[in-house]
Amino acid sequence: MPRDLDDVLHFFLPIAEESEPRTHGPSGATAETRPVALPILSVPVASRDVVRAAFSWNLTVELARLGARATLVVPHDPSASALWPPPGRGPLGARMVPAAVGDVAALTRVALDIAIAEADGCDEGGVVVVCTPPAWLIGDGATRALLRWLLLLATPDVRDLQEAYALTKLAYQTGSQPLVGLVIHGVRRMRDAELAFARVADAASRHLARTPVSYGLLADDLHVYRAIASQRPIGLEHPQSRAARALRDVARMLWEDARKLLLV
Amino acid sequence: MSDLRLTTPPAPEERRRVLRDALGSIVVGWHPLAENVLGADARIDWVGRDGQGRCVIVMVGRGGDDLALVARGLAQRDWVAARIPDWIQLAPHAGMRPDAEVRVVLLAPHFQPAALAAARAVGPGTLRLGLLRFVENGVGVGALIEALSPTGQAESPAREGGGFRSGLSPADLDLTAEERAEFDVPDPE
Repeated sequence: MPRDLDDVLHFFLPIAEESEPRTHGPSGATAETRPVALPILSVPVASRDVVRAAFSWNLTVELARLGARATLVVPHDPSASALWPPPGRGPLGARMVPAAVGDVAALTRVALDIAIAEADGCDEGGVVVVCTPPAWLIGDGATRALLRWLLLLATPDVRDLQEAYALTKLAYQTGSQPLVGLVIHGVRRMRDAELAFARVADAASRHLARTPVSYGLLADDLHVYRAIASQRPIGLEHPQSRAARALRDVARMLWEDARKLLLV
Repeated sequence: MSDLRLTTPPAPEERRRVLRDALGSIVVGWHPLAENVLGADARIDWVGRDGQGRCVIVMVGRGGDDLALVARGLAQRDWVAARIPDWIQLAPHAGMRPDAEVRVVLLAPHFQPAALAAARAVGPGTLRLGLLRFVENGVGVGALIEALSPTGQAESPAREGGGFRSGLSPADLDLTAEERAEFDVPDPE
């Protein structure tokens, strides 16, 4: 029977000894109040999904702008390397980590290692964003750690909404008390995004007795596609654009939830 | 009435402008999307789609390089096909179908038997040849295109699209018919 990493998570998380001195960070945070591991936000992104990949990186940059220690982890895929920025620290300190992993268990281990390492001495908190191949989320495997906090990106297209609903269902069935958030993109009017979200939420309410939370919308803006094509973060390339403002709003909501989810 | 007379091919930029609308005579439902696209080590004169959402690339050759044009057309077709899913994501309203084959239209003043045979071997559904001539009509230069291969050959039916953007299917995600039906209801607006 496959073991879930949740079952053995305590082996990975450092436990402070009683005799260890309590240290104080620059902001006055103590070892007791510092997170042991940063929260992991999982974003299902298929290997050639340019738009979701771009949004994931842009949200990571916007989280860094808000003061989060933000890291994006993606499974290394040579055929999709053009989707991603170069490894290492990028704009505003956002970090990109391509992980040489072949399955979800290995990806989860890498994500947990980074979540723990980045939490060390981190008073400001942060987020580890993990782009997870959707196929890795189904079937047996150590997926619960990657389904604890899930960000779904969907357009108002019926298939996208069905997929968002299905992944919500998967998270609720597999994860332990997961937080599932939905962002609608590819819309021109706020009303379209509201209707799209409502369709997923209504279906989830009826069939799953729970609903995902809304993380707002990302505008369908020409700047999005230009920034994707030039591989420059939208918030830096076109900071005053509707798309950049929407990204900041989504990042702000994610950041608020991240601080509630910090493991202490 | 102005005389029509054959003229020499205009400069590439002018040639592409002239071709923009004239391509409708050889591509049913022609809808231009981009011109002078840098493809596999060479330029593609036009990238567009036909009325069925198939991506169509158009390349113009000179007299005498028609066989090389066929080879370049096939190479560009392969280059474009690999990028269609990305282009559809970047321009979702362009109307291109992700599951449709890329069609190639090659235009030249004439085609030798070897080039015609090569095109036939690939198949008319993939590669179409057309004779291209330019005429001076008193107002400007126009393009005359004469298709060399038959059209209207039955296409393979479109793949039943049930998959998601993630590559997963409703069955992969245990989506029941009842759950799927939730999203078939039209928006209240």
